[in-house]
Amino acid sequence: MYPRPIPESAVWQRRLYVALVIGILIIWLGPLFAVILTSFRSMQDVMGGNLWGWPTQFGLIENYTAVFTQTPMAQYFLNSLIITIPSVIGVLILSTLAGYVLSRYRFPGNMLVFALFVGGNFLPHQIMMIPVRDLMVRLNLYDTTMALIIFHVAFQTGFATLFMRNFIAALPDELFQAARAEGATPFQTLVHVVIPLVRPALAALAILLFTFIWNDYFWAVVLTISDSVKPVTAGLANLRGEWVSAWNLISAGTIVVAVPPVIMFFLMQKHFIAGLTMGAVKG
Amino acid sequence: MTNHQPSPAGPETEIAKQDAMTSLELRQIQKSYGAYHALRGIDLDVEQGEFIVMVGPSGCGKSTLLKTIAGLETISSGQILINGRDVSHTEPGERGIAMVFQSYALYPHMTVAENMGFGLRMAHRPKDEIDAAVMRAAKILRITDQLDKRPKQLSGGQRQRVAIGRAITRSPDVFLFDEPLSNLDAALRTQMRVELSSLHAKLGATMVYVTHDQVEAMTMASRIVVLNHGSIEQVGSPLELYRNPANLFVAGFLGAPRMNFFEVIVDSVSGRRATVSTAGLVPLAVELTDGASVQKGDRLTMGVRPENVNLASNPAAATFSGQVRLVEHLGRETILYVDAGSLQCVSSESGTGNVTVQIGHVTGVSNDTTIGLGIAPRDVYLFSSGDGRTISARKSILAD
Amino acid sequence: MTNLWRRHRWWLTPTLLIMPAAILFAVVILASSVESLWISLHEWDGFGPMRWIGFDNYRELFNDPQFYVSLKNNVIWLVMFMLAPPLGLAIALLVNQKIRGMRFLKSLFFIPLVLASVAVGVVFSWVYTPQFGLLAIIFRFFGATAPAVLSDEHFVTFAVVTAALWPQTAFCMVLYLAGLNNLSEDLIGAGRVDGAKGWNMLRHIVLPQLTQVTFIAIAVTVVGALRSFDIISVMTSGGPFGSSSVLAYQMFEQSIFSYRFGYGAAIASILFVIMAVFIVWYLTRIIRAEERGA
Repeated sequence: MYPRPIPESAVWQRRLYVALVIGILIIWLGPLFAVILTSFRSMQDVMGGNLWGWPTQFGLIENYTAVFTQTPMAQYFLNSLIITIPSVIGVLILSTLAGYVLSRYRFPGNMLVFALFVGGNFLPHQIMMIPVRDLMVRLNLYDTTMALIIFHVAFQTGFATLFMRNFIAALPDELFQAARAEGATPFQTLVHVVIPLVRPALAALAILLFTFIWNDYFWAVVLTISDSVKPVTAGLANLRGEWVSAWNLISAGTIVVAVPPVIMFFLMQKHFIAGLTMGAVKG
Repeated sequence: MTNHQPSPAGPETEIAKQDAMTSLELRQIQKSYGAYHALRGIDLDVEQGEFIVMVGPSGCGKSTLLKTIAGLETISSGQILINGRDVSHTEPGERGIAMVFQSYALYPHMTVAENMGFGLRMAHRPKDEIDAAVMRAAKILRITDQLDKRPKQLSGGQRQRVAIGRAITRSPDVFLFDEPLSNLDAALRTQMRVELSSLHAKLGATMVYVTHDQVEAMTMASRIVVLNHGSIEQVGSPLELYRNPANLFVAGFLGAPRMNFFEVIVDSVSGRRATVSTAGLVPLAVELTDGASVQKGDRLTMGVRPENVNLASNPAAATFSGQVRLVEHLGRETILYVDAGSLQCVSSESGTGNVTVQIGHVTGVSNDTTIGLGIAPRDVYLFSSGDGRTISARKSILAD
Repeated sequence: MTNLWRRHRWWLTPTLLIMPAAILFAVVILASSVESLWISLHEWDGFGPMRWIGFDNYRELFNDPQFYVSLKNNVIWLVMFMLAPPLGLAIALLVNQKIRGMRFLKSLFFIPLVLASVAVGVVFSWVYTPQFGLLAIIFRFFGATAPAVLSDEHFVTFAVVTAALWPQTAFCMVLYLAGLNNLSEDLIGAGRVDGAKGWNMLRHIVLPQLTQVTFIAIAVTVVGALRSFDIISVMTSGGPFGSSSVLAYQMFEQSIFSYRFGYGAAIASILFVIMAVFIVWYLTRIIRAEERGA
């Protein structure tokens, strides 16, 4: 291990070390703590300029209730779920199929298709903005959740295919030969051998995709305008314009936007890290 | 999706089996990757019930050949027939073969029973038929108590059994083994070798087995196929190949320790007898095989197996002498590496040019002593130095 | 039919399986990108017919002072973002100890990474708020008055990039932590036996093993820098007076707010060319590695 582990016997060194880490962590997360604390403050304190002193009154419940009742945040939240969940499922299906083919079949152009998936994934979003927006208008899907779902599925399939391809390619070759020798068709091999074995990868990918899609802002503002379809990210930006200095409510809204990915992250931390670092560590 | 029945359940294959005793037939199999020729025209007939072992150095094409039989690799040209049926372009699952892989290739997410029944399940066989087939195979291999375990919970030997059991479950026409014992430790390998041989006797099935281990080849094969550079060098029973290697390659490949080779010159030829010599060696008069033509002054390669080099009882009986460089006591026998001065071995066992001597008893000879060694002319092999063809083999055991 | 299927299954199955992904990706992502290049040669308000004007959009762009402000800001983003990998490595080195409770502390360090960039933008807007924000409090503690960084055209881009560095550093940290956990124990041991310590160990034994991770960290950081849009949009809307705009934001503004889709497409195309240089470099490395592995 590097750096050299602090020995178990050095109790004081260890305590000092943990204290140091916590200190740095507090600075690191300082901005976030500021927002969390602000979301607890009452409107009177915020308006009266008491932003850092001891609150005269706690507004925790009022603030979060206000976010959900006096603004369309509940609707935005629901929209985000309606957009994110089907998108994740769609990407998982398409990328598993494509990744399986790209990793297990050698055909002319295999590398080219792979390179297009990877390269397309790095394109700046703005380069496809106008045609995608135009496409959705022509399909009569502009300002619907479906427009966002279609775009997210298409775009994330690039990254996800790279991900699944690498994972399936790392499975031992002889497993596939064995399945073939036993008469399994390519599709049977996919269902009975590949999918059970890539479940961890699918979990990791799902959580990554959830975060990416939930956090998207650019496409939300490009493809939607109505409150009835807008996801939380675009909604939060809207609320900021409306509330200007009601920092307690803006803070509460920010926390609402931030919480689902953070919860997902803590629930499936191992998978999230594994997913994010797979390419890096595999080398 | 169609319902393929793995043979020999199909009626045609049943008939074919009775008619033709040839279980597997390879005709002019060629396989090339671009300019590289992995297989160059392989011809082979395998009889029903034979145990064929393919050996050769790594890269000789033995695994490729096995995979082309399985259908996991396509062939560039030629024909593969199983029980008289041309399967050259048939999917692996429909060829009537089963394969045991080097890494066992057990599906980690399935139990032993599921692993063994996978092929039948893919062919949509009824569940009780699958269960019965799995149970039958498990009984043969004595793994009935492991059926609910996962591969991860099994030892190497048990996994090996499951892999074999998976093959048995499919009751194939031909079993294919791709170096199945190479991942096991030495003791287990010996045990599995014996088990495989008795399994072969019990099932009476045709088996094709690839290995780089010549002990496995010698002990298990009904016939050995020696491959080199994508071609068959020789086919025959283990003892036939050992005694009458067709060429220098086979002679050098089979036998441990390896045969000693020397560059020699023909001094004279009289009738079927040629006298050969080289610096440091008393001339030897060796009988040639029929049809071999040798002339005075020809350069040949002479081969002598280490067990045929003897300690000379007196200096007069010695054909050459040398200094002992290393003594290996293997218990019942002793291996000596002897530096015979100007008499240098080409591509010797130890890589130093020393002569390898195998003595069937314990000897007191120690390092650096000079000893006299004897080679009897009838124990000598001669190979033409051009194509390596055998032009004189050791005279048969009957002459001993 | 069945026979036909069986005979051609070996290539039909893979073709059918890859088709949905390939078609969707090709139509929505790839074709759109190419179409943008085409649109950039036109004048178009997004509704009416397109009018071919050749390279006029580009000519106008190269005479547009805002274009150079955006381009300069993109460079600032790129340069400042390069702090993320070393900072991430530093934090990774700090927290890479196996002590009870460290796992939890480590995961708290990751939080900025999973926050929506909109949320990060709002968080830092609050930090930078004059008089009440965290920055103002800190300055007051030292007896100074914090500048209103988001309305000062000299500070604004640096302030925005600092906010964006927060999640990016967390990303690099995650990558390096994984890399550190994959170091060869034998090499570290050999290094210790040879007397390597501290900086020498890091420089000569640890970093060489992290080359691949560093490559990925730099790649994601470059892409992150060139993609910057959300945070700018939320924190400054490119202001004041376009001084914190970048190409991505300028393009959005021209298209969505000014209905100049042709001009917007031209800006996007420039951004695309910059990114393409990077993508080609990245892909050749990846594909070379793939082919070595195959």
